[in-house]
Formats: sequence, C-alpha cells, structure tokens
Amino acid sequence: MSTTHPSRPVPKTFPCVRCGLTVTASGPDGTPRNHCPSCLHSLHVLDAVEGGPSECRSRMAPISIAVLRTGDWMVIHRCARCGELTSNPICPDDNQLILMRMAVRPLAQPPFPLEAFGGL
Amino acid sequence: MPRRNPAGERPQRRKDVRHGQGGDAFRCVGCGLDVPVHAPGTAHRNHCPHCLTSLHLDRRVPGDRRAGCRGRMTALSVTVRHDGEWLIIHHCQSCGVLSANRIAGDDNALALLRIAMRPLSDRRLPVSAMLTL
Ligand SMILES: [Zn+2]
Ligand SMILES: [Zn+2]
Repeated sequence: MSTTHPSRPVPKTFPCVRCGLTVTASGPDGTPRNHCPSCLHSLHVLDAVEGGPSECRSRMAPISIAVLRTGDWMVIHRCARCGELTSNPICPDDNQLILMRMAVRPLAQPPFPLEAFGGL
Repeated sequence: MPRRNPAGERPQRRKDVRHGQGGDAFRCVGCGLDVPVHAPGTAHRNHCPHCLTSLHLDRRVPGDRRAGCRGRMTALSVTVRHDGEWLIIHHCQSCGVLSANRIAGDDNALALLRIAMRPLSDRRLPVSAMLTL
C-alpha cells in the first residue's frame, strides 16, 4: 500500500509483550492485528473509556470469547495494570487451542451444577 | 438449585455504600423488573438478576457513578476469575464500553448458562467435538 505517511511509518511487525514472537501488523486476510496469534496477548495502547491513545502500555491478557450477532468471535482483553477491557476480532491464524480453552473455561468451572440443565 | 435465594431469610443490614440509584429498588432497563437493591448474598447488585442487563453509570471504578452515559448494558460474555468466580462482561449499547461484573447469588442460572454457551453453539468450530474429549 502507498498510503503510508513518511513522517509516521506504520510498523510492519511488532514483538509480542508476552511471548516475544515477531508478529506481522496485519493478519493473513489483511485485517490489522492487535494481539499475538500465538499467545493472544495484547498491549494497552488505546483508551477505551476516553478514546484515543492510552498512557498505560501494559500487557493485556485474553479473558473471554464474545460472539457477535454475525457469529464472528471477538476476544475480550483485560489490562493487567489498570483493568480496562477491550474487544477485538479474532484472526484466522489465532491459536485455536487457546481460543477453545477460553470458550469452554466457564463451563468447566460453573457456579451451579450443570446437571440440572441436561436439556441444553 | 443450590444457589437458591432463601425468601424467608433475615434481611441484610443496610450498607453505607450506594449501589442502587438512590432508592431501595430499581427498574431494569432490559426487562422492566423491579429489582430490590439489597438481597441475601448480593452485596454489589449492579445488574438485573432476571435478564442480567445493567445500566452504564460507572466510569472507571465500579461504584464511582461518574459515567454520564446511562446506556443499556447487555451481558456479552462470561469469564472466570483466578479464584473461579464468574464475571459477566457487560457491553454498553450506547457508547460501546465494556465492564466486568461479579455474578450475584440470585442471578438467573439459565440466562448465565445461555451466555456461556454462545461460543460453544457455533457450528463452524469444532468446540463440541473438543468437549467430548
Ligand atoms: Zn491499562
Ligand atoms: Zn455507555
């Protein structure tokens, strides 16, 4: 793409804050990435409450899977330092095992016995 | 359900902290239910025990009541804290902000379970196959 501004070059890769993997800034389908496809961790660079950049810059851990009306999966991240939450689309090459683990985790630790809901 | 809400129990002592909107009950913006602010086993009621909907009142800290939004916050997903407790991720339908809130002792178990099941009922992913492993 030729839209890159000379004074603010868009980085093509970034190192993952958690596992150190060199991550390409966009996924295989061209959508921008905000998390590491291997460990799914992210960096707190945007302020979700006020909008705009965040000074926090701490590590954000994936904590939940949300399903949009379209059926698309979103990863909910929580900042380890300030607790802010963000929601971002998953990428086709995101670690499927971690995604699945997050999806089943609530049902593996239910706050009530699931046996009563056998019909689901 | 073991998480039953014993109706005949001694009422919880009034707390100094305000978790409601100033009164003893609030009307749910999701289903219209009149929800008592204080209930046994429920210290920080911030969502409807029936439909789990909340109201966007807090800005950054739970209970700060500093958000001017007052949008309807629907239950988007659940997550499990390190101590095993479930949290509901609420999503503001007006401004898009997310917040995490502890479930209450009298929350509708079926409504909670439906939200937890959402990713697992996705037929494009082999989740159900993984569950049988
Ligand atoms: Zn942060
Ligand atoms: Zn809002």
